[in-house]
Amino acid sequence: MGNFEPEIVGLCCHYCAYTAADMAGSKRISYPSNVKIIRVPCTGKVDAIHLMKALEKGADGVFVAGCLEGDCHFKNGNTRAAKRVVYVKNYIESLGFEPERVAMYNISAGMGERFAQIAGEFTEQIKALGPNPVKNIKSNHQAAGQ
Amino acid sequence: MITAEQKPIEEIIEYIAPYDRILLVGCNECVTVCAAGGRKEVGLLASALHLHSLKQGKTVDIKEITLERQCDPEYVEELVSLIDSADAILSMACGCGVQTIAGRYKDKPVYPAVNTKFMGASESQGIWAERCKGCGDCLLGVTGGVCPVARCSKQLMNGPCGGTSNGQCEISPDTDCAWRLIWERLKALGMEKRYIEVMVAKDWRPAGGGGPRRIVREDLT
Amino acid sequence: MQEAKDIQYESSIDKRVLVVGGGVGGIRAALDLAESRRNVTLIDKSYAIGGLMTQLDRTFPTNNCDLCTVSPHLSQSGRQIYLDLQPMTVLDALEGEAGDFKATLLTQPRYIDVEKCTACGECQKQFPEAVRFTPGLDPRAPTCMRYPQATPYAYSIDMDKVTDKDALVQSCKADAIVLDDEPRKIELNVASVVLSIGAELFNPEALDHFGAGKLDNVVTGLEYERIMSASGPFQGSLLRRSDQKRPKRVAWIQCVGSRGINKEDVPYCSGVCCMYALKEAIVTKERFAQEIETTIFYMDMRTYGKDYELYLNRAKNEYGIRMIRCRPHSIVEDADTKNLSITYAVEEEAQPKIEEFDMVVLSTGFRMNSETAVLAEKIGVELDPYQFVKTDHFNAVETSKPGVYVCGVAQTPKDIPETMVQGSAAASMAASNLPAMADALPEEELIPERDVSGEDPKVGFFICDCGMEIGGVIQVSEIVEFAKGLPRVAVSQAVGYGCSSESMAVIEESIKTNGLNRVVIGGCSPRTHEAKFQDLLRRAGLNKYLVEIVNLRDQNTWAHLGEPDKALQKAFRLVESGISGVLQTRPLVDHTLPMNRNALVVGGGVTGMTAALQLADQGIKVYLVERAPVLGGVAQTIRKTIEGEDVGAFLNQLVKDVTAHDNIQVLTRSIIVDHSGMPGRFQTGIQTGVRMNYMQLDHGVTILATGALPNRPAIYGLGSHDGIMTQLDLDTLLDESPEKVQEMDQVVMIQCAGSREPDNPNCSRICCQAAIKNALRVKALNPEASVYVLYRDIRTYGMYEDFYREARNQDVQFIRFTRDTKPDVRVESGRVYVSVFDGIIGRTIDIETDLLALSTGMIADDETTEDLAMMFHVPRTSDNYFLEDHVKLRPVDMSVRGIFLAGTAHSPKTIPESITQARAAAGRAQTMLAKQEINLGASVAKVDGSKCATCLVCVRACPFSIPLINEDRYSQIDPAKCQGCGICVAECPAKAIQLMAFEDDQILAKLDGIFGGLN
Repeated sequence: MGNFEPEIVGLCCHYCAYTAADMAGSKRISYPSNVKIIRVPCTGKVDAIHLMKALEKGADGVFVAGCLEGDCHFKNGNTRAAKRVVYVKNYIESLGFEPERVAMYNISAGMGERFAQIAGEFTEQIKALGPNPVKNIKSNHQAAGQ
Repeated sequence: MITAEQKPIEEIIEYIAPYDRILLVGCNECVTVCAAGGRKEVGLLASALHLHSLKQGKTVDIKEITLERQCDPEYVEELVSLIDSADAILSMACGCGVQTIAGRYKDKPVYPAVNTKFMGASESQGIWAERCKGCGDCLLGVTGGVCPVARCSKQLMNGPCGGTSNGQCEISPDTDCAWRLIWERLKALGMEKRYIEVMVAKDWRPAGGGGPRRIVREDLT
Repeated sequence: MQEAKDIQYESSIDKRVLVVGGGVGGIRAALDLAESRRNVTLIDKSYAIGGLMTQLDRTFPTNNCDLCTVSPHLSQSGRQIYLDLQPMTVLDALEGEAGDFKATLLTQPRYIDVEKCTACGECQKQFPEAVRFTPGLDPRAPTCMRYPQATPYAYSIDMDKVTDKDALVQSCKADAIVLDDEPRKIELNVASVVLSIGAELFNPEALDHFGAGKLDNVVTGLEYERIMSASGPFQGSLLRRSDQKRPKRVAWIQCVGSRGINKEDVPYCSGVCCMYALKEAIVTKERFAQEIETTIFYMDMRTYGKDYELYLNRAKNEYGIRMIRCRPHSIVEDADTKNLSITYAVEEEAQPKIEEFDMVVLSTGFRMNSETAVLAEKIGVELDPYQFVKTDHFNAVETSKPGVYVCGVAQTPKDIPETMVQGSAAASMAASNLPAMADALPEEELIPERDVSGEDPKVGFFICDCGMEIGGVIQVSEIVEFAKGLPRVAVSQAVGYGCSSESMAVIEESIKTNGLNRVVIGGCSPRTHEAKFQDLLRRAGLNKYLVEIVNLRDQNTWAHLGEPDKALQKAFRLVESGISGVLQTRPLVDHTLPMNRNALVVGGGVTGMTAALQLADQGIKVYLVERAPVLGGVAQTIRKTIEGEDVGAFLNQLVKDVTAHDNIQVLTRSIIVDHSGMPGRFQTGIQTGVRMNYMQLDHGVTILATGALPNRPAIYGLGSHDGIMTQLDLDTLLDESPEKVQEMDQVVMIQCAGSREPDNPNCSRICCQAAIKNALRVKALNPEASVYVLYRDIRTYGMYEDFYREARNQDVQFIRFTRDTKPDVRVESGRVYVSVFDGIIGRTIDIETDLLALSTGMIADDETTEDLAMMFHVPRTSDNYFLEDHVKLRPVDMSVRGIFLAGTAHSPKTIPESITQARAAAGRAQTMLAKQEINLGASVAKVDGSKCATCLVCVRACPFSIPLINEDRYSQIDPAKCQGCGICVAECPAKAIQLMAFEDDQILAKLDGIFGGLN
């Protein structure tokens, strides 16, 4: 488990977290390369199904990162996203998955350091949980297929 | 509208455990509106079932389809082409839909994925409340448009019980006392007199006391 | 480069503007004109445009990397169809008059065919010393590309330095070397000329006492920038030249060659050096080590720009940058350590101090060179005594020659935002010699869009190495190979700098010849470059939404610099994600609405009136809304400028012109009460006239010119005695009752009264010159009068320094105080007394005065800006001025498109500065009004009516109340109003709504790509 490198997806709002991630890069602040970002126009666009499908497809962790509370470009997309994240946490918990595999963060466009910190913390959290059990099966199946 | 809520996932899992190929059927009517069994919920449940089975070390084949209305045979007929490739059907419609499917596809097991709750109205986004018991003999005309059958916890017909406190029901402080609402409404309409008219005992036969009910419109049959 | 002989300039319909000089000011002017659909030719004597800014490491006050902010602008210059770029070209002669000049251009041989050069760098490998550009630290070389994102993206050769010409020709695989290239002369018919010729930086080697050019560890400010720069000589490491070690103690010496009267000095202030020294000191601490001691030796700290005082406070308080008020005489080097010692004095102590530093930076300012004088002579524009281009008093971009305008440092020393403002203002003025707006050139015609609906996806993958930025961390070729193996990828290729015009042409060609119908770019962030590649697709005949940008730089190689293996693995995943995502893209149509070509100008002061006139002259209908009963604003209380110009006469003429103009509807006694609509189609409600009647104005753009308020704080006894007044009161007194002033023997002025204080932390910018103006006027009336100016820093930036010197020559006494030793004012027996501690003589002096003038400056009009900020949804600064979109690059644009900002509503400034900003705002507004349509984009929510359950969830969830259930019983979302957030999409229980360009299947496909290895 020591060399477990989790696959992490960040669904990031164009206006804040995505920009913050760019800024972390432009300031050369490093964070784990495990984190791969998909850009959305607002976290309000992130549907529960996206989080579920990410886990289903093999993500060890998924996070949604939107604007600071009250700063949503579209008024309340981030608070709606936060509620959906809670919903998905409960849902996957009832399926026997750790709710910590899913998380919501709020961050502003200027917070490059904070983005890197979040990425680091979340990666550590997922490392501690170990691999998404779905993945073993997938790779077994794949091996069997070959 | 008929309201429903998804069943605990454990219960659904137990139902479908023996099967490898599931036909998951949503309904685009009431259960869509109350966010229990529309296209979106079908997708989420399918994903949840995939996650679960993968975790168990196996894969399950789930076909997703959402019918316009599961309580009409013609719409249910649309499943014909899919039915042979499924071992079981999981319906996200209300009980009416589940039964329509069961009636049509007699050799396939059908399981409900939702609990049908009540006839209700939307109070605001995400909140639904019971408004009608389907008693078959509507008395809203004399109670100022507020139903004591559906909204009084004790279904009292002649004013509130002694348990009402600050206008709320003693069963739950989140519930308005129906008789308080009736009084306020009648007062606002200047119909206070109605309130003191004694209602005779309600005839519960149209409410189903006489067995399953049907409506037959001869002119339409 | 286009062949000069192929360009037909003769046609008079095709009249154009000539912009001379491709620094940021010239680029801004050229872009504004091109965006307004006016033909423009941009020439630069150098082989690539960009000017001084491209050599800076980071810029104040944002401390951002310049190269990254300016390069999209530069390559933008390359792609505009109305813009013709001619590098290595100078203006040789100008005949004729405004509206009909004949310009003769002279182009030097480049010896490289720009069209063929791929910037592969082979020629540079043969001449290894060739490529670097680090002034003062690296020798120039025969082939030289100035910086990685150069425009045009091609090398150039100094043929005199090439020893083996055959070898040079051999080295070029693209056959781009042109040995027989020769100078060319082009004649151009132009309507107006914008001079953006910049200035040079003073070379301190001319001074013998600072050791520049002799001592290894003495560098100029610009050399220090290059040392810190990632593209500099030490690849972004801060190292001493003598031993390549990181310095522990760095000192800056300000005003080197400026504000002096000695040999080689110029008397004026260069205006930017205080800020750049602060920036360099901050960046030193921020980027390299907090422990590096930074010390700035200065005369006056001139942080007079918008929020610059806050920057100074941060430098002192947060970064602990040491400020010593002293102008050191010389620098002495230790022969062994190469350390440098500086002898200096501080006011509090009698003995001079000696201190050692590891590195000393000389803050050198701007100088005009002899080339300017030659050019000025040739084209007939006058210069001022310091060889800067002389301009009209009230119009700082108008030269002595009608039809010739100037912007940037060539007019007077200034920083980047002010240069940007002047660039836009000069463009706006230059356009006034062209046919009016309505007759501007047609919009660009594009080849028809190819219908790809029946085609199988055919993906082209192009990866940028971005120089070392991507290619230096991961093997680009491995990714090319990887992408080749992915399904439906027809082309996979590396393209160097993908955003260079050269690579863009390669991609365009590949789309056409290979019949690609999807494109994936592996490069930098889509935030900055998506629009550019979308335009590229459209030009190639593809719908612009069929492209996906994979962020391999900002979110990969930059972030995982130290882990190249992991970065490569991540790149594979990101690329696969991009490719699987692009397969799900579909052609989309941008929604458009017709543009409303009216303008609303809020505020009828000098700024608002100037902007209104500028637009009205271009045939635009302008509503000029003023809350007061008359036009004029604060300028009505100002009598004279420091140069002695009559403000009243100027103002009267302006009011007359505005009132008489057919295209301007003046609405006085009017306040704004509501505002709605979208950029290009705004509706603003006003209440107007004595009876406050409601009226709705329809307009496409808005200029906010609401001004600021003269400050009148109740300090220093203001309001308690007739003899205590503000500088504005004194201005009036001098004008109306000079005889009263004539009788005064003692006059005291106190600077920063109510400014640079915790409750109003910024500098009011105008007060130093206002005080000196009035001091000189008092002296003119009564040369015997004693005038004392009590100050904290004298901030007579630029040429205002002349007046400061003149005041000292005329014996005006300047006494410095600090925030801790503020003067004390008392009234005894009807007389005013001021006591102040004079640090130089070390004791408190007490002055009985006939008049005390307080330099109270300006404060923001808090109530007005608050109301308008709320209605127009625009941000404000912490001290309640309006906040522009980008303090550096978009100084008059607000964050809401179509809203522009000018004058003192932006920050305190002088009348001429406000006027320039007004013209800039008008110019920027024209770039928008030139368009026939408003593009609303395509990323809007779209309902599939057959799936809709009419549940009302979208109606309830939409933050902007756009969806409605229509008569056909499904949800309808007006694409013109949809903001594209996608909230309804995620909420819809029937999955009947999709957000275009972010469809669920696309997001899921991207997830598939990320986990491609697993699925």
